[in-house]
Amino acid sequence: MFVSDCRRDFYERIVSQRVLLLVASDVDALCACKILQALFQCDHVQYTLVPVSGWQELETAFLEHKDQFKYFVLINCGANVDLLEILQPEEDTFFFVCDSHRPINVVNVYNETQIKLLVKPDDDLDVPAYDDIFRDEEEEEEESEAESDGSEPSDKRRRFEEEVIERTMKRRQRREWEARRREILFDYEQYEYHGTSSAMVMFDLAWMMSKDLNDMLWWAIVGLTDQWVQDKITQMKYVTDIGILQRHVSRHNHRNEDEENSLSIDCMRIAFEYDLRLALYQHWSLYESLCNTSYTSANLKLWSVQGQKRLQEFLADMGLPLKQVKQKFNSMDISLKENLKEMIEESASKFGMKDLRVQTFSIHFGFKNKFLASDIVYATASLMESIEKEGPETTNFIKALDSLSRGNLDKLHQGLDLAKKQLRAIQQTVASCICTNLVISQGPFLYCSLMEGTPDVRLFSKPVSLCLLSKYLLKSFVCSTKNKRCKLLPLIMAAPMDVEQGTVIMVGIPPETESSDKKNFFGRAFEKAAESTNSRTLHNHFDMSIIELKTEDRSKFLDALISLLS
Amino acid sequence: MAGERAVGLVRELQRAAGGHLPPFRAEELRQALEEMRALYERNQADVSEAKAGRTDLIFLIRFRHCCLLRNQRCIVAYLYDRLLRIRALRWEYGSILPNAIQFHMSAEEVEWFNRYKKSLATYMRSVGGEEGLDLTQDIKPPKSLYIEVRCLKDYGEFEIEDGTTVLLKKNSQHFLPRWKCEQLIRQGVLEHILS
Repeated sequence: MFVSDCRRDFYERIVSQRVLLLVASDVDALCACKILQALFQCDHVQYTLVPVSGWQELETAFLEHKDQFKYFVLINCGANVDLLEILQPEEDTFFFVCDSHRPINVVNVYNETQIKLLVKPDDDLDVPAYDDIFRDEEEEEEESEAESDGSEPSDKRRRFEEEVIERTMKRRQRREWEARRREILFDYEQYEYHGTSSAMVMFDLAWMMSKDLNDMLWWAIVGLTDQWVQDKITQMKYVTDIGILQRHVSRHNHRNEDEENSLSIDCMRIAFEYDLRLALYQHWSLYESLCNTSYTSANLKLWSVQGQKRLQEFLADMGLPLKQVKQKFNSMDISLKENLKEMIEESASKFGMKDLRVQTFSIHFGFKNKFLASDIVYATASLMESIEKEGPETTNFIKALDSLSRGNLDKLHQGLDLAKKQLRAIQQTVASCICTNLVISQGPFLYCSLMEGTPDVRLFSKPVSLCLLSKYLLKSFVCSTKNKRCKLLPLIMAAPMDVEQGTVIMVGIPPETESSDKKNFFGRAFEKAAESTNSRTLHNHFDMSIIELKTEDRSKFLDALISLLS
Repeated sequence: MAGERAVGLVRELQRAAGGHLPPFRAEELRQALEEMRALYERNQADVSEAKAGRTDLIFLIRFRHCCLLRNQRCIVAYLYDRLLRIRALRWEYGSILPNAIQFHMSAEEVEWFNRYKKSLATYMRSVGGEEGLDLTQDIKPPKSLYIEVRCLKDYGEFEIEDGTTVLLKKNSQHFLPRWKCEQLIRQGVLEHILS
């Protein structure tokens, strides 16, 4: 059931207990976890933090810890499946789920006792009414009791006929009701999408308890920006949420505007920026950033020779000499950097890129350290999915979690370097896929498969990197193709996951349109296709549209998908 | 050369920095004591001769006496320094020493350690009211009641005062009472995280 008062029904209940935090492996979950950890440390709530990256790990962690804990908090996992069925907990175990995955499973919504959903009243929840999907079991018992009643032989025949008629009527009603129920559930669960960021929900809780700090606000901003970078929410929702956060930012950071009374330069401050959406441009050179951001690279078509020429024209239009642009951004001439944002925006609109600037926030502390929210998102995401094998997978999670604290700047810089490598690898892969026409239309969707020997293909065996690659690929493809129908198709991307075990990771993303609502139907489609072909698939990720399957089953799986979706 | 072995013992202790306890060199100690005994006997013989008239032996006797004193000083320094290190171990590791360290101690040292433990325990019980005061905790003033720790290796289950157990698995993070974690932090199982 939904928790209306987060503070009373969630926080007050766990403040005197020991809690197990199960945190999913994405940046939004990490940020929400940091905020909650800060609150717990403030109030001395004893907790244990276990990172989980899929359903199997969630189950294992639950089995290991269920004897020791009664209160579990799940962050960015668990809302979209029937938790009680999967985990089979005891009667006195409580789950608090703070998840941005939608649609929320109806069992979780209507369970009154054990499952509490920390979800803000989003306007797009649309949960079906209780009576439409659940029916009392007692009515069936009445029927069977009536059937077993004995009575006098004279009335028996008449009553028998009446009973038969009644029974068939009831059965027909039940069938109708069940058919309608299936339809309602199908409509409800068909599309996957994302709601408010968990980090923002946690920040809201902190604010309600008046324990919010600038640090927590920054984590909430990073959580929201992660949703935007990974294209999980619509532009409108992003702008609305930015507005909400902007109010908090001005509340915490208003002292900087007053010249006399401002804080020392070492204090952390957050500022609202209407800044360029070029990835990592302040920590890279402007040229590299233009080449490796999907928006500019797709619109300028940088995979072709003509595209490169257009880039040169673009730079010339702004009056930026090549030598300057290829240097590190911090070493560019101050005179060029002064009006950079406005200049770029003006020139960009001439080249068809109207949304080069985006509303975001930046953080400052000390003289050297200035980061945009998207920089932190890229750095943390690449730390979490780094392929350097340094122990179990949870080590990467821990590194990424640490990098979000301001004291661990070395890890953050390491993350930035990894992010640069990752972005370059993505751009090169996208360019090669488009130039070699690897993206083929299969009818109801586009399909692209990465071959074994492609450079950096190991980077894309991780779900978030692969999703990022697919989104960039789809954007570039839409700009490159002339076929109007293909522009509206969704994309399925496959990459080799584990060569020894012969598995492939497959990701489905919704079509790229101007006003897309980011709703993804591939979750259900994959499930159905896997069932119908008996393919050996593993639906391990919390996002249902990411699966792993055996390489041999790939072609029959795709055929089943094609027939399902056409 | 007289006194070499004793000085060798002292040198070894000096090399073992940081409170580390090297193995007890019973053999070298025995040899040093043997040397002392030999010197003493020779001195005994020479003293009776010197009393009988040979005054040129006095210098030799004095030299041997100095050697004896030097040996004594080195050996006593060796034994005493080891005792100081063993005493520090009680404060660092608690009342039960790891096997590796116990292996390095001689029987007498173990005996001394037990008596020191008892003495410390009696003192701690006498201070601080009814229950006594555990002085070996919180050697540095603590900043908070609970600390955040990260598990560096798989340790298994760990019980806290109120009976609840925590499963310490690699890379899991916990927020636990400080005094319970100190032992494990010293052993290297947990790592204190400062945010």
